[in-house]
Amino acid sequence: MKRIDTTVRSIRKVAEGYFELRFAWELPDNGDPVIGDPVIGDPVIGDPAIGNPAIGNPAIGNPAIGAPSIGGHVNGGHAGDDSPAPGRFVTIRAGGRYDPALRRPFAFSDYSPDAREAAIVFQLRGRGTAFLADLKPGDPLDVLGPLGKGFGSPPRSTRPVLVAGGIGIGPMLYLASALAARADAGLGEAPTLAMGFRSAAYVPGLPLPPGAVVCTDDGSYGYEGTVADYLAGYDPGLPPAFYACGPAPMMAAVGRLAAARRAPYEAAVEQWMACGVGACAGCAVPLKSGAFVRACADGPVLDGDLVDWEASL
Amino acid sequence: MSVSEALDMSVRVGGLVMRNPVGVASGAFGYGEEYESLVDIDALGALYTKAVTPEPRAGNPAPRLADTPAGMLNSIGLANPGLDSFVADKLPGLRARRCAVIVNVAGKTEGDYIRVVERLEAEDGIAGYEINVSCPNVAHGGLAFGTDPAQVERLVRAIRGAQGARSPRRPVIVKLTPNVADIASIAKAAEAGGADAVSCINTLVGMVIDVKARRTVLAMRTGGLSGPAVRPVGVACVYKASRAVSIPVIGLGGISDADDALQYLLAGAVAVQVGTALFARPETPSEILAGVRAFMEKEGVARVGDIRKMLA
Repeated sequence: MKRIDTTVRSIRKVAEGYFELRFAWELPDNGDPVIGDPVIGDPVIGDPAIGNPAIGNPAIGNPAIGAPSIGGHVNGGHAGDDSPAPGRFVTIRAGGRYDPALRRPFAFSDYSPDAREAAIVFQLRGRGTAFLADLKPGDPLDVLGPLGKGFGSPPRSTRPVLVAGGIGIGPMLYLASALAARADAGLGEAPTLAMGFRSAAYVPGLPLPPGAVVCTDDGSYGYEGTVADYLAGYDPGLPPAFYACGPAPMMAAVGRLAAARRAPYEAAVEQWMACGVGACAGCAVPLKSGAFVRACADGPVLDGDLVDWEASL
Repeated sequence: MSVSEALDMSVRVGGLVMRNPVGVASGAFGYGEEYESLVDIDALGALYTKAVTPEPRAGNPAPRLADTPAGMLNSIGLANPGLDSFVADKLPGLRARRCAVIVNVAGKTEGDYIRVVERLEAEDGIAGYEINVSCPNVAHGGLAFGTDPAQVERLVRAIRGAQGARSPRRPVIVKLTPNVADIASIAKAAEAGGADAVSCINTLVGMVIDVKARRTVLAMRTGGLSGPAVRPVGVACVYKASRAVSIPVIGLGGISDADDALQYLLAGAVAVQVGTALFARPETPSEILAGVRAFMEKEGVARVGDIRKMLA
């Protein structure tokens, strides 16, 4: 990770309250993202060597959030390297010198090695995102990253089923394009992407992968109902591997689907952060075991089956 | 030799000499390793670790953070891996640091503090102890000690009694809360109990309510306020404490640039700690050190310890 003073390439409104911010992104040791083979048995998350000693309860044991069956990371993404892999994130200064004091975390929604450009998608929620929404091309941008652990590669002969709710669309679009590229290279099955929004006004005007399904609560666009409703009747054709980012009720619903199909479930979580690097334990995410993990360093991609979606998220 | 090299930046706290007055505050910096690639840790004056308690603590329910004007609330709840894990997993990395490593010690009871200090006395690689009697986010210990002069004095005396025969003796720094009517009386109690220094301030108790949702943002409802918003409170506390005691005072609270640090040094602090500003800009400590040096050169001050004599 590095803290970089970079510049805004573009900012545009892509839906009601949603914006895409593209910025110059070049790290000295960055290079093109490597699309690797699935590494079966490589612990995706919860690697004790990197581990969770800061907030894990050793009496309970290092919370075993590893999901070895899922295999290696998509485009790399081990904490500590500088690959902007799907599921990883940056924190961005969103205002004056120290006000807001807290940087804002955003998952990568795209990365173009040729253009040396990365992107995030964010929702206008408060003063930090209002600051970002007002940026203009060429404006300076203070970015720290890449941070956290990204998504793992799907197991062989599984259908990656990507689920996005609302602003959770950012990392899922990026993952969908990375997995589609892998499939084109013969390295796995093509992903499907299902997205849920409140209404047509929230469906982002971003390039969506072929076959992507849009669900709206009010039926004003695509399937009428929640994305979980849609998935309950969806046949992936192969054993599914679920990937999701969205509001807690959706994440819990995907968890129930995954459990019913005995499918792996990688969940990208959202939480307020202070340091973003694993030092302060502010971004705690509750697990069903009663322990906490850090969204920034143990995640943000976690084994969705272990997260306590009912508590505090 | 340049003027800059002639400057004496060292700070003495008890038998410990820190090479410069800029440290990183407990809780903001973990145990150092997390910031390895962002901060030149060896160039710091001191690293104050995240609190260590005898047993592991999972910490408070989430959410633990809230954004506030020029600051933040936290309610971490002293989440830490506990004494055994600290010694086994964190201390080896800390021993390799060239800066002074000060272990922040917390507990529910007097016995907890004693247990941590007694055990750490047997370990090398520690420069001193910062006694946390001021955490606002735990039900027992913390503030319960730090708001009562009699308890502070007794606790510090007991900790001093638990120290072994190390020479030089590791300094005991008592971290004070601003959530009291008279911080000078608490500082005096720490001094009477045998403290080598006091540090102030810990966070102020605060609350943020999400009006739309009609609930507090923090799961624990209240948390500790830090960041630039609290700096004037911290400067005043350092001013009052440093005039009440003859032991050194270490200042913290909202320090985010050299000017902020100089306010604390002028108010009476011998050294400072940077906390919340690290989150926004990890390079803050090195920028502060450079800025304090520049001030000393410009003003013709040879020793950093002389800055506190300059307040009109």
